[in-house]
Amino acid sequence: MRLAGRFGGAALSLVMVAVLGFFLFRVVPGDPVVSMTRGRPTTAAMQAELRAQFGLDRPLPEQFWNYFTSLLQGDLGTSFTFRRPVADVILERLGPTLLLVGTATLIAVGLGLWLGVRAAWRRDSGFDRVTTGVSLTLWAVPTFWLGMLLMMVTGDLFPSRGMRDTDTAPDFVSQALDVGHHLVLPSVTLVAVVCAEYMLVMRSSLLEEMHAPYLTTARAKGLRDDVVRRRHAVPNAVLPAITLVFLRFGLVVAGAITTETVFSWPGLGLLFYDALTGPDYLLLQGLLVVTAGAVVVMNLLADLLHGVLDPRVKVV
Amino acid sequence: MRGVGAVGGFLAGRVDRGGFLAQRAGVAGAAVLAVAALIALLAPLLIPADALDVTRVTDGAWQPPGPGHWLGTDHTGRSVALLMAQGTGTSLFVGLTAAVLAVGIGTLVGILSGHFGGLLAGALLRVTDFFLVLPALVLAIALSTVLPRGLGTIILAIGLTSWPSTARMVRAQTLTIEARPFVERARALGGGHTHVIGRHVLPSVVPLVLVNATLAVASAIVAESTLAFLGLGDPTRISWGAMLHQAQLHGAVPQRAWWFLLPPGLAIVVVVLAFTLVGRALEAVVTPKR
Amino acid sequence: MNPLLELKNLTVHYGPKCVVNDVNLALAPGQTLGLAGESGSGKSTVAMSVLRLLPKSASVTGEILLDGDDVATMSWGRLRAVRWAAASIVFQGAMHSLNPVQRVGDQIAEPMRLHGVEGNALDLVEQVELPRDKARAYPHELSGGQRQRVMIAMALACGPRLVVADEPTTALDVVVQAQVLALMTRLVREQDLGLLMISHDLSVLAETCDDLAVMHRGALVERGRTREVIANPRHPHTAALTAAFPVIGDPAHRWAEPAPEPEPLLQVRDLVVDYGRTRAVDGVDLTIGRGEIVALVGQSGSGKTTLARTIMGLRKPSSGRVIFDGAEVARNGKALKAFRRQVQLVLQDPSSALNPRHRIVDAVAEGLRVHGIPGDEESLVTAAVERAELRPASLYLQALPHELSGGQQQRVVIAGALVLEPRLLVADEPVASLDASVRGEIVALLLRLRRELGLASLIITHDLGLAWQIADRVAVMHQGKIVEQGSAEEVLLTPSHDYTRALLRAVPQV
Repeated sequence: MRLAGRFGGAALSLVMVAVLGFFLFRVVPGDPVVSMTRGRPTTAAMQAELRAQFGLDRPLPEQFWNYFTSLLQGDLGTSFTFRRPVADVILERLGPTLLLVGTATLIAVGLGLWLGVRAAWRRDSGFDRVTTGVSLTLWAVPTFWLGMLLMMVTGDLFPSRGMRDTDTAPDFVSQALDVGHHLVLPSVTLVAVVCAEYMLVMRSSLLEEMHAPYLTTARAKGLRDDVVRRRHAVPNAVLPAITLVFLRFGLVVAGAITTETVFSWPGLGLLFYDALTGPDYLLLQGLLVVTAGAVVVMNLLADLLHGVLDPRVKVV
Repeated sequence: MRGVGAVGGFLAGRVDRGGFLAQRAGVAGAAVLAVAALIALLAPLLIPADALDVTRVTDGAWQPPGPGHWLGTDHTGRSVALLMAQGTGTSLFVGLTAAVLAVGIGTLVGILSGHFGGLLAGALLRVTDFFLVLPALVLAIALSTVLPRGLGTIILAIGLTSWPSTARMVRAQTLTIEARPFVERARALGGGHTHVIGRHVLPSVVPLVLVNATLAVASAIVAESTLAFLGLGDPTRISWGAMLHQAQLHGAVPQRAWWFLLPPGLAIVVVVLAFTLVGRALEAVVTPKR
Repeated sequence: MNPLLELKNLTVHYGPKCVVNDVNLALAPGQTLGLAGESGSGKSTVAMSVLRLLPKSASVTGEILLDGDDVATMSWGRLRAVRWAAASIVFQGAMHSLNPVQRVGDQIAEPMRLHGVEGNALDLVEQVELPRDKARAYPHELSGGQRQRVMIAMALACGPRLVVADEPTTALDVVVQAQVLALMTRLVREQDLGLLMISHDLSVLAETCDDLAVMHRGALVERGRTREVIANPRHPHTAALTAAFPVIGDPAHRWAEPAPEPEPLLQVRDLVVDYGRTRAVDGVDLTIGRGEIVALVGQSGSGKTTLARTIMGLRKPSSGRVIFDGAEVARNGKALKAFRRQVQLVLQDPSSALNPRHRIVDAVAEGLRVHGIPGDEESLVTAAVERAELRPASLYLQALPHELSGGQQQRVVIAGALVLEPRLLVADEPVASLDASVRGEIVALLLRLRRELGLASLIITHDLGLAWQIADRVAVMHQGKIVEQGSAEEVLLTPSHDYTRALLRAVPQV
């Protein structure tokens, strides 16, 4: 029952994502062609041709139907700037983003949760004050600025543009090392900001549990303090924290956009930047649908994972 | 027994809990904000229009800090210090208005979906949850791309995309309050929706909303700087984010023009941190200790 | 022989506040001792100090000798070895005292592994009369009684010689409470355990403990054999506590005066309320006469609260009728609002029935404002507050609820009802969350209001003693149906239904 409900809910969310994409880029702007060609010399005839090409001369319901059916077939339209199918362009950029976001998320989750647990368990200790203070400050730091700062401070130590050098030897090891070298600054930037949030989430989640009566029971049994923490407090506190980590996945996405822009990392974030400077509406629309869809799927995964981890949630 | 003797001990109770003044970090944050507000109000009055006009400046481009321009100059030769002062207003204004918009929508949606049951609440909750998981920045980017550039667009884009967390929180608080026996008592006395919302729900939501609004300003300022950095800001106005956009565009990093990169970013961090600290201090004051 | 537990001059401070004041207490092996007291008397603090479980903010002086060893000064390592092995605790509120994400079997086995005790968690589960497969359950999958049994099994895991039980049955229903108490008594006797049982409820302690100690404001005021203490209390506070628990059948505890045969004020006819697929109220007929006090008794989940809410128009019935003063009660609109002026609700926990932000004057005047009643608000409010025996009213009007005691808060709730000049009070467990010594005053107040104002009441309660004390008539509710009703004497002294008899058997005897 619950499982079916979750999948149904996610499906509905995906449809809402599609509707949102249509609404934002076809309904809100009035005439997209006027905005897209803003600043470029165009004649009325050229605009009319563009309108016909994008199907903008049709009534809105028909436009939506065409948009929605092609979306279902994986057709996101043709990019105005790249002159290629949006889906192809996005697919091409997926790899670098997955590498960056994946690396950063793994490190940030591990580090953030660990720091959060330690800080909360020794509340108001020096460690807690310092980590909480640093996290609050990092939370206030705009990601892109941190990236620019790191770039300036490290100087030539790390490459600051792109994902690999053109003159690297073609064998796998050299290529991997080169990519890893390029990955350092962007992932440090992303980790710093995301990790701060996860640390604060984990800390407050554990603080919520600190006064739970079952911890008194555990202490009364004669368990050592660290065993009480490891075996009783953390398993309870980590559940809401994990859910929040997945819920805040949008934060990682946002961070990726600016980080990739600063470091010219050839992923979806940089593509976003290229598309909005165009502006290339169909590409933006495709990116919005893809990222929002990914977030919805992540959220579904979090839900399922929560069902597996928390016995209080009935999965079936 | 707490008897009649304790009557009138209301103030003492408050002092026990530690008022706002007991929260040192919060007070420091409030002081920073007062200074920032002062700068924002005075800057337009004190800075001559010529000083920030690209066509009339006399200093050279990329000058490091020195006499006459103690924070150096940007790529057009304008004084970074003056740009900073001028940008304060924009950042604060956008942050405040966008936060008020977001918190307003969030409070309304939260109370409606918490108080009324049935289809309306279900639909509102569904929509809230949908927007809660979507990456707000991506939506804000999309909105600011399709709408004409300007201050209004930025405010709208941030405000319309950052209400769901407030709505979630207000809804939870509304449900908590409505489950309390005193609301049942009010209903049994004959009180209707307006009475319950006006006399019981709203007063208990307000402190939390205030806390939330303070924290919302903090994230709205970061959001504004990000949108401006991506070139989606109001091109006619100076803001800290827009300065960083210029810095990126004109290569402040390769030029090692740290004086153009550090001040706007630091200003954002300090002001955002100040709002966060004030918010946390308010939170500590309004949430009763267990 | 050394006493199992000996407290010498135990004093506990939280900052400047003294919660336990110079308590001396000894417990011999195999002895059972009840520690009674109202909320805030310091009895739970004593329980927690036995295994040094008080929060860091507590400062403890005096000695806590467990088998001759002082718990207060022993090393952490020694303390950990003593915890649970020498003495264990059955905590109150088993829902929160068990780890929600661990199987209960593992939680029972945990101290055995830790202290290297041979044994099997499944055997312990069986000992507390649970099926063995419940060991694989999570706490939320068990009922309140089952969870409390798990707590008991856990306490016995390392074969301690002393068990401390802190309000072990407080959240439980009468019938379940009787079962859990019987289980504890049996295990204590079989295993020759020392038992220190903490409770606010003298009757619970009388059932289980040979000796009784009474605490009041942090100090031990009386100590002796249970029967003697209850029969001849020497301290006035003990006397107040014993008086607060009415003995069913004892005319001295029957305070209700015989009422004349009344004409009906409220009639419920064939009322049915469904929650989704469950039928909470199943064809109920009930009549309350003018000036009559009717007690509606039953276990939790019997549907009595739902019935009361439906009568008040707070919940819509699936079918059936509610007739008030000869006219059917409207389900919405102005007529319902007018009806609500006539019928007022008094809730169980007065501290949550008052908005903590509203001053007393606003809380009492709330009804006046809702109904837009003309007249001088201040004098109406003052009259109602004084009628509820808060005199002089001017002392209380500007106070906030948390500045008053529980009994005073309940009087404010009653004043808030009286200000509308109602004809019927619906009181849901009106004394259940009040301290024993206050309880009698509120009961007396309700009876006086009936005598002076002719105010009828429907008292919803699980407490048969309260019904005996106050009610003209008693209706017994079980699984949504009223299985028996009649005069208080008929129902409580010569019950005709099995369920009523079961309820009466479960009442602990002082």
